[in-house]
Amino acid sequence: MWKPVHLFAFKRKFDFLRWRKAALILSTLVNVLAILAVVFVGLNFGIDFKGGIALQVRAKQGVAQLDALRATVGGLGVGEVSLQEFGEASSVLIRIQRQEGDAQCVAGAQRVMQKRTGAGWQAKPGPAGTGDVEFTSPAALDGAGWRDAVSRVGLTVIERQLPRGTTNTAKIDMTPEQRAEWCQQVAIKLVEDAISANYEIRGTESVGPKIGDELMQSGIWAVIATMAAIVVYVWFRYEWQFGVGALIAMLHDVITTLGIFVLLQLDFSLTALAAVLTIAGYSINDTVVIFDRVRENMRRYKKLGLIELLNLSLNETLSRTLMTSGTVFVAVLVLVLFGGPVLYSFSIGMLWGVIVGTYSSIWIACAALVYLNLRPDQLRPADEEPAKAKA
Amino acid sequence: MLNLPRWQTIVIIAITVLSGLFALPNMLPTSVLDALPHWYSQNRINLGLDLRGGAHFLLEADLRSVLTERLTNLSDSVRADMRKQQVGIKDVTVEPGRAVIIVLRDETQRTKAIDAIRALDPTLAVSGSGDTIRVAYSEQELFRRKKEVIDQSIEILRRRVDETGTLEPTIVRQGDERILLQVPGIKDTTDLKRKINQTAKLTFHLVNEDVAAAGANIPTTLPPTTFLVPTREGVQELRRTNPKAWEDIQAANPRMSPEQICRRYQPQCLPVLKRVVVGGEDLDDSKATFEQQQGGRPIISFTFNSAGGRAFCAATRANIGKRLAIQLDGEIISAPVVQSAICGGSGIITGTFTTQQTQEQALLLRSGALPATLTIIQESTVGADLGADAIRAGTVAALAATVLVAILMFVAYGPVFGGFANLAMLVNLLMVFAGMSILGASLTLPGMAGLVLTVGMAVDSNVLIYERVREEKALGRSAFSSIATGYERAMSAIIDANLTTLIAAVLLFGFGSGPIRGFATTLSLGLLTSMFSSTIFTRMLLAVWVRWRRPTELVI
Repeated sequence: MWKPVHLFAFKRKFDFLRWRKAALILSTLVNVLAILAVVFVGLNFGIDFKGGIALQVRAKQGVAQLDALRATVGGLGVGEVSLQEFGEASSVLIRIQRQEGDAQCVAGAQRVMQKRTGAGWQAKPGPAGTGDVEFTSPAALDGAGWRDAVSRVGLTVIERQLPRGTTNTAKIDMTPEQRAEWCQQVAIKLVEDAISANYEIRGTESVGPKIGDELMQSGIWAVIATMAAIVVYVWFRYEWQFGVGALIAMLHDVITTLGIFVLLQLDFSLTALAAVLTIAGYSINDTVVIFDRVRENMRRYKKLGLIELLNLSLNETLSRTLMTSGTVFVAVLVLVLFGGPVLYSFSIGMLWGVIVGTYSSIWIACAALVYLNLRPDQLRPADEEPAKAKA
Repeated sequence: MLNLPRWQTIVIIAITVLSGLFALPNMLPTSVLDALPHWYSQNRINLGLDLRGGAHFLLEADLRSVLTERLTNLSDSVRADMRKQQVGIKDVTVEPGRAVIIVLRDETQRTKAIDAIRALDPTLAVSGSGDTIRVAYSEQELFRRKKEVIDQSIEILRRRVDETGTLEPTIVRQGDERILLQVPGIKDTTDLKRKINQTAKLTFHLVNEDVAAAGANIPTTLPPTTFLVPTREGVQELRRTNPKAWEDIQAANPRMSPEQICRRYQPQCLPVLKRVVVGGEDLDDSKATFEQQQGGRPIISFTFNSAGGRAFCAATRANIGKRLAIQLDGEIISAPVVQSAICGGSGIITGTFTTQQTQEQALLLRSGALPATLTIIQESTVGADLGADAIRAGTVAALAATVLVAILMFVAYGPVFGGFANLAMLVNLLMVFAGMSILGASLTLPGMAGLVLTVGMAVDSNVLIYERVREEKALGRSAFSSIATGYERAMSAIIDANLTTLIAAVLLFGFGSGPIRGFATTLSLGLLTSMFSSTIFTRMLLAVWVRWRRPTELVI
């Protein structure tokens, strides 16, 4: 049997708060930079939030030719296209801006129609102000024929929209918004047709304009609600100075994480948002354990000065702080290494969050207590050591 | 603190064993699972589409157009009604998706006009002043109508997408006006869209009463004008009593005709005339209501468009006393007796129905056509191999994280304490699996990330306790007392630490959608169960260990 390794001897007297000014300056600087980066450079929003199309493709043979692929897809008239290698040299993630449903999209639909259903097909946009599309087929079609034909360009219709009897043209009435949503499907088909000879389409994703806007809103609300709920909880459990300290530390962590996303131009998708919220929770988790000890020590050593008391508490909780950060860090590192390309930006964000969360609990949250001038007589009397009464 | 009453020990062990039992079906190979009773083996975690592969659609129903259409119909009836009541109107307009605006010639006729509108439909909300009357559906009515459209769309989608009953699609309402459609295992969405664009075949036929009079002894040769169609009850009965036959019918290629099904399996069938009286495309609406007189029996009312109304009028006039069979996709859903000529373009079906039956029948009658356009506002498809890659990556990450964290705990707290914490970590994973099996939650790729994160975070409670035990030991307490006090003093920090992270996870569940919910699910479940495994469970282990070894000094 082996002996446990004590990473940090219990009686360590480390003067953490000596560097509080330096930490304050550093953190302020980093945060200001992060905010500037988010405002002026901007997050690299994924299609979850921006709307648009993503295709995961893999070269059928050898490695992916990014330049050739970019030229092919870029020439389809689907707007802005970005490509990145995805996990391995043969895999590529193609991202295309969201489609707005203009005449170009209808022209694209015509190309898809011709490619998939035969020459002679036409698609024309209807009168301006509507989203109507008029399809013309080389041979007269009945209802079933039309349903089949429009399915090939990814359009879902109801009976009312289709012509009655057997006709050569079908005018599908749509609102401009409906057409814009449909155009995402058209773009996917266009890309599929253009590259399917050399690439295998492994997965596709499209987010229409409407959902994109909604997810963006609910994402912002999620961040605000989470931070508010956590602060309310800390405020409810501790004195206000702790609440403020925890809030500042949490904002610090969230803002710098966003900064990292800008700096590394990581894809900010729903999973990245999940990382940000988890970091908010984790930041407080780390802080609260230290605060718990600070409060306990304040009751025990009523005469001790605040800085000595904070340093004592930090030293006492240090090995826990490092051990827990260590296990979470290891878990997240494993995700970075083995989690695959889809989770990459989530994992990188979390990795940063674990490091910065540990730093901020010590130098931001506790330093804030110094600046907020917390004194033992401000502790709520009702909280007087309930544990002692039981013991 | 460490002297656990026996019943507590039993409860803790029981919870652990039960979790293991619930989690087990997820880890057994299929061959073993097949040998186990179904009620037990079916208890497994669903894989999300991103791991399993398949197509995911979010469809939005255009309720505004539906509403505008209904309002236009309403404005027509208002106009006709006003004429009948001799109320002079200057203008009737439809405010798209909202209301009908009526402008009167003479303000003094306002009350008369409003009474007439109320008589038309008492649920309408009437407002406005002077010569204008604004008629709109009440909030309740609006809600009911929206719900009706979505429910109907879901029912129709189910019929269309899963004709064969083998695709296991998930079709659920999402919010007010959206439908989530998930079909595992398919990659070609063109085919799926073709199915969505399909129309169910709803037709009205007269029953051949001469043949039907023979009862169960239907002759083997029928007149060429007549064919046999199974009734819906008959098919359901067959499906229940003879599942094998049902499977054969579904698997048959080419599909069996209704008559073949009748001849081969002899469910309850009706001989009907081949000639179609009216087609479903001419049916505008049908709903479950109650009879005005005679005690308000539940009935089904339906409305045709003008072409359908004329054809229906002629057919019913000529066939009073005979049955009219309503056929939907090769099943007769109803065959009411024609009581009188139905010429107003609308009619009712009476019978001994329960309210639920009338609702179901009305829904079936409406199954011919989708009531609203369904626009795809979000789509994703994942190939099965991509899903398999994701599963592999997630599994490797989870295993690696578990092993590495376990090593860390062993190194930091020694074989005994580290071992107990690691045992707790495994129990925690079992409990998460069990919890997800019980909740029927889906495991997604972000969900696997949540699991990995849980592995790292859940040992925190043990770290807190053990560090506290070390401190208490350093203060000179005995082994027993150090452990007891360590657990007690660490508790408040454990609860605070877990709850704050849990708040973030729960809110993420509330705001998130799709795979992200999977992350929120595993993380919250993991944190909740870790409160049991890391504290209560390890305390029991330590209590037993202390009593057994009676250590004078703790090696921690």
